Amino acid sequence: MRLPFLSMFMTSPFEGLQEHAEKVKECTWSFQQAIECHLSENCKQFEEFRIKIADIEREADSIKRRIRGHLPKGTLMPVDKFEIFRYLREQDGVLDAVEDALDWISFRPDPGIPKALQKEFLLLIDAAIDPIDEMARMVTEARQYFNTFNEKQRNTVKEIIRTLRRQEHDADQLEARLKQQIFAMDTDPTTIFHMVRLAEIIGSIADHAENAGDMMRAMIAK
Amino acid sequence: MSTETIILIVGYIFGFYMAWNIGANDVANSMASAVGAKAITIRQAVFIAGILNIVGAVFIGSHVTNTIRKGIISTDVMADPHLALIGALSALLAAALWVSFATWKSLPVSTTHSIVGAMIGFGIMAGGFSVINWSKLGAVVLSWIISPVFSLVIAFVMFKIIIRVILSREQAYLQALKLAPVFIGLACFIVILSFLFKTPLGKTLAVGTPAAVVIAVVCAGLLGFAGKWLIRRVSHQDTEDVFRRIQIGTSCYVALAQGANDVANAIGPLAVIYFLVKTGGVGAKVPVPLFLLLFGGIGITCGIAMAGYRVMNTIGTKITTLTNTRGFCVDFAAATAVLVASKMGLPVSTTHAAVGGVLGVGMARGIEAVNFQIVLQIMLYWVLTVPAAAITSMVIFKILFMIL
Repeated sequence: MRLPFLSMFMTSPFEGLQEHAEKVKECTWSFQQAIECHLSENCKQFEEFRIKIADIEREADSIKRRIRGHLPKGTLMPVDKFEIFRYLREQDGVLDAVEDALDWISFRPDPGIPKALQKEFLLLIDAAIDPIDEMARMVTEARQYFNTFNEKQRNTVKEIIRTLRRQEHDADQLEARLKQQIFAMDTDPTTIFHMVRLAEIIGSIADHAENAGDMMRAMIAK
Repeated sequence: MSTETIILIVGYIFGFYMAWNIGANDVANSMASAVGAKAITIRQAVFIAGILNIVGAVFIGSHVTNTIRKGIISTDVMADPHLALIGALSALLAAALWVSFATWKSLPVSTTHSIVGAMIGFGIMAGGFSVINWSKLGAVVLSWIISPVFSLVIAFVMFKIIIRVILSREQAYLQALKLAPVFIGLACFIVILSFLFKTPLGKTLAVGTPAAVVIAVVCAGLLGFAGKWLIRRVSHQDTEDVFRRIQIGTSCYVALAQGANDVANAIGPLAVIYFLVKTGGVGAKVPVPLFLLLFGGIGITCGIAMAGYRVMNTIGTKITTLTNTRGFCVDFAAATAVLVASKMGLPVSTTHAAVGGVLGVGMARGIEAVNFQIVLQIMLYWVLTVPAAAITSMVIFKILFMIL
């Protein structure tokens, strides 16, 4: 049965965005576990967590492709099609950065993170993970806004975006402090390079979340 | 049994079949937004559409039909009663066949356009191309564009207004409740006006235009406040819920408009046959007896009852992004476009009006994802329907001409 009325309605891209955000959120727990495991004395499960995150990333990728592939020309939506794509790229960037961080650790598992840096690294990771939860909430709230166009709802979304920006700033400062500490260490250049790069990758998780927030700000602009 | 009686019986059968098709095909489109937005259940939709299509057909449906719908072809071809009889029958048959073919192949066609095309086909066979009134045909073609566009504009404006005055407000629910009489009243206003102007009942009252407007405003106002009172009693503290209640009303409005508008598609040619058989001649216009309208209404209702459930089930599960405020705009726009256009004597399709309404809300950025491309596809079938029905009608005319 092909009714003209029915064929006008398509699967909502926002549903996909929400699903994708949930996937991103899903990886945070495994990420934390993986890092904690790596910092502990004899870690066995690190590979397991890494593979799990790679799986989540693959699933998220297929959601991303599904959204991109199912918005034909001439689709009417509350927002511009390419705004959605750009937003999605940033949201996906968060997950990619998480995966990158674990991959980066796995390339040189042996000496691991020096004892002196562990506390700072954990702080940075917490700071980088906070925006992920916030981002998932933002998608849900924004969808609600596009449903109602309510001013109050719009302010809720804007508040989340502000929070994201603040959290990114905090993560940035932690990252800078950590890097200073790394360079101040008296150790071999390979470790320094490994650690600095790791700090950068973890820092970029928050960057992507903030960028996603900025894109969302553009989408809810009147 | 005389040939005429047989033709009349065949005419009844195909008239009923055509009405059945209208019910089965078009109702899905008119009730879709209400079912899609979960304002009414499928069972309620079938019930409302069934009852109100009969009511609309009998009470608002045109009691006088043009011999050739909308004067697209010259009435000269009706001079010979025998030819006219065969012509009306073949047009009815062709339209019904084309619509069922379209249903079978799942093509989005309009029953209104099928009957127009079939009439053209008969006209060409009976009198050649010269009988076609091209400017009239042009006006008809234009109306296919006008009615969805009109509906689109109404839906767009309506939705923008709802955003501005209700949804974006801090106290959206209270605002919705406060303005409910306006929205209910608007819908009532148009129904009452079309009732006063179009129906024989309204015509016997013989109220002038200013008086009619006054009556409509007063009644609409009263009904609006009555509706608000009802909604306040039953609704939850939710904006969409207010519109859900209103949408129950608007879907009735759509069903009514559809019954009024579409019954002529099935009953028009049948009325011509009936008149020819009873009186032996026909003018430019024939009266449509009440029982024929009832007959058409029942035919539509049978179609709804038998096929409506399945169709609406599909719609209810597939459409998940339509909320009640959007559904209200679609319903309101479609019904208004149909009633206004049919009042102007244009053959409009409920389907196209509903499509226009959805696109209007989509352009107002109200729906999460609407496929605008579908318009091109629908347009293709608009263009195709008329010649296809015309050719079918020509073939049937030739065959019937040889037999009778």
